[in-house]
Amino acid sequence: MTTERATFRYFQIFIPAILVYAAGSIGLTWAEDNVPMPLYVLYGLAIIPIISMLSIFWAHWRFANEIDEFMRLIQIKATLVGVVCIMTVATGWGTLELLVDAPKLPVFWLLPMFWVIHSAATGFMSKGEGMF
Amino acid sequence: MKNSLKMLRAERGWSQSELGKQLKVSRQTINAIEAGRYDPSLPLALKIGRVFKLHIEDIFYDVDSD
Repeated sequence: MTTERATFRYFQIFIPAILVYAAGSIGLTWAEDNVPMPLYVLYGLAIIPIISMLSIFWAHWRFANEIDEFMRLIQIKATLVGVVCIMTVATGWGTLELLVDAPKLPVFWLLPMFWVIHSAATGFMSKGEGMF
Repeated sequence: MKNSLKMLRAERGWSQSELGKQLKVSRQTINAIEAGRYDPSLPLALKIGRVFKLHIEDIFYDVDSD
């Protein structure tokens, strides 16, 4: 499969999934404050953004399998950069929370942070390889 | 690892995209291999050998070997 076709297939899943994720997250935050509902309903609705997020990871997995080996290497390296940064922030800040009562880090933002770092790393590496 | 892919491709008058299509890889991958920034996997190296009708050791060589 060509990289273009694999990228098209990736965005076919990514775009609707990210919209559902954003709508689900924003909607749940709003609903929690404005719509009276039992806690178990809220927990149940929280599955929506979780499934969207898993769909994105699955699409990315498929994308990495469909592109050629060199492009896959860039994706794997970018994923590693993202994971290292997020783990460092989460673990480092977690230690500060435990030891010096640092303000709580809203872990919700770790996923958007991961994708921003992953995208930036992909861009830098692709530029380094003279792709654009 | 060094290679003579660029020279072989030029001899046949193929662009990086054309070679990429034959090998089912991207133009960027061909570019990275030619520039020596990426060493292909054994299956891809064998495929390159088949496209050029050469043994892989005629295309790829270790600079440290004698």
